[in-house]
Amino acid sequence: MPLICDPFDPSATHSDGCGCAAHGGVSQLQGADRMAQIVNTAVLRAAFPKATSRRRFLKAVGATTAAAALAELFPLASATALAQDAPKGLEKPNLKIGFIPITCASPIIMAQPMGFYAKHGLNVEVIKTAGWAIVRDKALNREYDAAHMLSPMPIAISLGLGSVKQSWQIPAIENINGQAITLAVKHKDRRDPKTWKGMRFGIPFDYSMHNYLLRYYLAEAGLDPDSDVQLRVIPPPEMVANLRADNIDGFLGPDPVNQRAVFDGVGFIHILSRELWDGHPCCSFSSSAEFAQANPNTFLALTQAIIDATGFANKAENRKQIADAIAPTNYLNQPPVVVEQALTGIFADGLGNVVRQPLRAGFDPFPWESFGVWILTQMKRWGQLKGDVDYAQVAKSVMLATDARKQMTALGLAAPAANTKTFVVMGKAFDPATPEAYLASFPIKHV
Amino acid sequence: MAHSWLSVEAIARSYGARPVFRDLSFGIDRGEFACLIGHSGCGKTTILNILAGLEAPDAGVLVMDGHETAGPSLDRAVIFQSHALYPWLTALGNVAFALRSRHPTWSRTQIEIQARAALATVGLKDAATQKPAELSGGMKQRVGIARALSLEPALLLMDEPFSALDALTRGTLQDEVSGLVGGGRQTAFMITHDVDEAILLADRILLMTNGPDAWLAEIVINTLPRPRDRANLHRQPGYYPLRNHIVDFLVTRSRLLAGQQPPGWTGRDVPEIRPSDFHEQRERVPA
Amino acid sequence: MTRFAAPFLSIVLLALLLGVWQISVHDTQPAAGMDPEYAKLMGLQATAGKSAIPTPLDVAAKLVQAIRDPFYDHGPNDKGIGIQLAYSLGRVLLGFGLAMIVAVPLGFLIGMSPLMGAALNPFIQVLKPISPLAWMPLALYTIKDSDQSAIFVIFICSVWPMLVNTAFGVSGVRREWLNVARTLEVGPLRRALRVILPAAAPTIFTGMRISIGIAWLVIVAAEMLVGGTGIGYFVWNQWNNLSLADILMGILLIGVVGMALDRALAAAATSVAWRE
Repeated sequence: MPLICDPFDPSATHSDGCGCAAHGGVSQLQGADRMAQIVNTAVLRAAFPKATSRRRFLKAVGATTAAAALAELFPLASATALAQDAPKGLEKPNLKIGFIPITCASPIIMAQPMGFYAKHGLNVEVIKTAGWAIVRDKALNREYDAAHMLSPMPIAISLGLGSVKQSWQIPAIENINGQAITLAVKHKDRRDPKTWKGMRFGIPFDYSMHNYLLRYYLAEAGLDPDSDVQLRVIPPPEMVANLRADNIDGFLGPDPVNQRAVFDGVGFIHILSRELWDGHPCCSFSSSAEFAQANPNTFLALTQAIIDATGFANKAENRKQIADAIAPTNYLNQPPVVVEQALTGIFADGLGNVVRQPLRAGFDPFPWESFGVWILTQMKRWGQLKGDVDYAQVAKSVMLATDARKQMTALGLAAPAANTKTFVVMGKAFDPATPEAYLASFPIKHV
Repeated sequence: MAHSWLSVEAIARSYGARPVFRDLSFGIDRGEFACLIGHSGCGKTTILNILAGLEAPDAGVLVMDGHETAGPSLDRAVIFQSHALYPWLTALGNVAFALRSRHPTWSRTQIEIQARAALATVGLKDAATQKPAELSGGMKQRVGIARALSLEPALLLMDEPFSALDALTRGTLQDEVSGLVGGGRQTAFMITHDVDEAILLADRILLMTNGPDAWLAEIVINTLPRPRDRANLHRQPGYYPLRNHIVDFLVTRSRLLAGQQPPGWTGRDVPEIRPSDFHEQRERVPA
Repeated sequence: MTRFAAPFLSIVLLALLLGVWQISVHDTQPAAGMDPEYAKLMGLQATAGKSAIPTPLDVAAKLVQAIRDPFYDHGPNDKGIGIQLAYSLGRVLLGFGLAMIVAVPLGFLIGMSPLMGAALNPFIQVLKPISPLAWMPLALYTIKDSDQSAIFVIFICSVWPMLVNTAFGVSGVRREWLNVARTLEVGPLRRALRVILPAAAPTIFTGMRISIGIAWLVIVAAEMLVGGTGIGYFVWNQWNNLSLADILMGILLIGVVGMALDRALAAAATSVAWRE
C-alpha cells in the first residue's frame, strides 16, 4: 500500500483511496500544508522503505514525532519549500533510471532514498545494472528513461561510436575526481609508471574517462598504451575479483572499487585521479534528446532533482550520511566503512597509511562544454574517432551547460558564468578553443 | 474364381529389377478361410500387406465384393505377427481404440462394454486393465485377436499370428481361433509356414514357391471335416496324405519350382488340387 | 542394510567435506600490529590479502537468514531470495514453455518428414552449440527489452534438445503401430495425438529434461549479465560485494532448484513412460 498515491498524477484524485497510513489521507489539506505533508511522507517512505516497519515506527512514536525525528536527518524544511516550485504538469512522473553501483552515481542513487526525486514530484525507481554496455543498451531501448553513464558515453552515442547513433545529452555531470589507479599489493615497490611495460590494467569501458586518463598517464611516462601494456575492459564490480585472481596488475577504476581492493587487502591506491587532473569529470547523468523533447517538464524536474542532489552531495558534512544511505544492498551493496572512506577522503591507502584528502571525491553538476572538447581530443588521439569533427558544436549539443546554469541558480547553487574554461591535465594546459593544436602536441598517439 | 467375393487380380511386386512375384491371382469366397503357405522370401507378407491396403502392388488390383479397393480400411482387420499393441494403453484401451475407430459416435460406456465383451471372448476378462508389458506373449496376441474381431471385419487378415509363441500356447490359440473364425463364420486370410496350422484352420491352402519370381503353384482344397480339433485331427482319414503333400511341397517342390513357371503359364489358372489328385501331382515335378 | 548404505555414505562424505572446509578456512585473523585508525578503516574482517572464504557455518547462517524472510522487498535492487527465485523460475518456465510450443510441433514435422529433417538439420547443427551469452547482445539489440531478451535466450538455448529429441522420437515410432492406425482408418490428428505422441513421449521428455537443465543454467548466466532481478542477479550482486557466503548460498539454492526442476520432469516422464 503506497503511502502517497502519486500526488502529481493529474488523473489521480486524492479525495479517496489514498491509503496514507500516517495521516488518514492528505486530501483535506491545501496548498503549502499539503505540499509539506507530501514531502514529509516521501521522506518517511524513503527512510523506511518497508511498509510494515514504517507503520510500526509511526505507531510507536506518532506522526508528529516521526516528522521531527526525520527532520534531524533530512533537510525537510528546505525540501518542502523547493517542492512548491516544482514544475507542474509532469508528463511522466514514474521513471526508471539505471545505474552502475559505484560512488560516482551517488547523486542519482541517493536522490531516491533521500527523497530528492520525490521532492521534485517524481517517483523514480533506480535500477542497478551489471555493466556499461547493458546500461547503454537499456537506455537506448528506452527501458530506462535516463541513465548513469560515463561522461564520454553520451558523446560516443551521439556520434554513433560503438552503438546506434542517437542524440544523447548530459544535463548534469555527476562527479568530479573520485577515481584512482589501484595496483596489486605485489607491485608496491614498483611505483614508477616508466617500469610498467608489459603490465595488464583494467578499465571500466572503452568510452570512459578512466580509459583516457590511464592512457594519458601511461603516455606521459613514455609508454604506448596500445603496445606496451594491456588494457582490458572489466565492469567495475568485477575489478577486485580480477585483481585478486591476478588477471590484472592494476586498474584505473571508480570508487568504492579502489577502496574495496584496499579493504580486502589485495591492492593499494597508487595515485588518486585528482593528482592527474584536478576537477576532471567522471560520470554523468544522461538521457536521450528525444526524452527531453517529449517530456520537457519531467526532464526539467529530473534535472533539478539531480542538480539538487549533486549540490547536496558536494558538501563535505553530508558525505557520511550519503555513505550510509547508498551502502545497503538495494544500492551499492558495500560495507558502509568502504563507501565512507571513498566519499570522506579519510582512507586507508593499502600501504599502512591513513590518508586525509577531503578532495578525493567531488560532486559538481556543471557540464562544462570544455569537458566535451577534451573528451573528443582523446577519442581522436586514440583512434576511436576518425576524420574531422566540429569539437565545439558536438560539445555544445551534448553538454547542456546553459540549462544547467539556469537550474543551479534557481536552486541556489553557485554556477559559473561561462560554458567553457581552460584547465591543466598533468601539467599541460588545455584550451578548448584550440583542440587540434592540443592533439598535435602529444608525441604518443594513434590518430 | 472370377466370381470370388475377394479377388486378387494379377498383382506384381519387384525389388529393383528382380520380381518377387508377378501376375499373381487368386480368390477367396465369403466365409472361406484361405491360408497362404510358403518359405521366407516368397513375398507372402507383401501379399498380406497388399490385401490389408498397407502396401500398393506395382501392378494388378484387388477387387472386393465387386469393387476395386486401394488403401487400408476398417473392413479388413489385421492380426499382426508381433501383436502390435500400443504399450501405453491397457488391454481394454487397445481394444477400445479400435472400437472407437469403428464407431465414432458411440458413447464411452458403449465402447467399454463392447471392448470388455471382446476381451471376454478370448478369455481375458480379468486382464482388461493390464498393460501389454504385464501380459504374456499369448495373452498379448489374444488382445490382438480381440481387437481385430471387435471390428467385425468383412475380412480378417493374419500375418503368421502364432509364430512368435511357444508351442503349447500356439496350439491353444490355434484351437481358439479355429473355434472363433473357422466354419464359415468369418472370411479370413492367413499366411504361415506351419503345415499343421494351415491344415487345422484353412479351407483352402495356397502353396507358394520360393522366391525370387515366386508363383502360386497350386491351391489345395482341405476337405477334412469341421469342427476340427488339434487332438483328433491326425486321426482323420486323409490327414496324412494331405500333410505329406504339403510337406513334400515345402521341402522339395517349392525350391525346384522357384522361377520355373511351366511353358504357357499364366497366373490366372492355378490348379486346384483335391486329395484325390495327390498321386497325379507328384508326377508333375520336373526331373 | 544395503538400502541405507548409499545415503549413509553420502552423509559421511558431506560431513567430511564440511569438516575439511570448516577447518581449512576458519582461522583468518586480522593482521596484527596495525595503526588503530588504519585497522578501523580496514574493517574487522580485513584479511590482509588472505582468502576470505567463509566457513560452512557462515553459509548456513546466511541460508537461515534468507529463508526466514524470503519475500522481503527493499526496493528494485534488493529483494528476498524467494522473490529472486520466483523471478528466475518465471523466466525459465516462460522461455521453456515457448520453446516447448515451438519444438514439439516442429519436431513432429521434422520427424514425420525425412525431407524436412534433412533440410533443417544443418541449421539445427549450427545453432545448437551457440552459447547463451553469445545470443544476449544480439537479443538486446533486436528485442530492445532485457527481460524479453533473457526469455528469448532461454528459449533459443532450450529449444534444440526438445526439437532434436521430438524429431528422433517421432521418426522412431514403430512402423507396425502406424500400420495399426492405418488399418483402423485413424485420422491425422488422432494419429498424432493418440499414437505418435504417446509413442514418442518418453523420448520427448528426455529432451525436455535436458532442456530444463540448460534453461536453468542459462537463466543464471543471463541474469548475471542483464541484472535487475533473479537468482543470477542475486549472485552477481553479492559478487559485487565480494560476499562469498551469499554467493555460496546462491550456488546452493541454484543447485537445489535445478535438481527440483529435473526431478519434476523426471516424475512427469515416468507418468508417460511405457515398456513393452
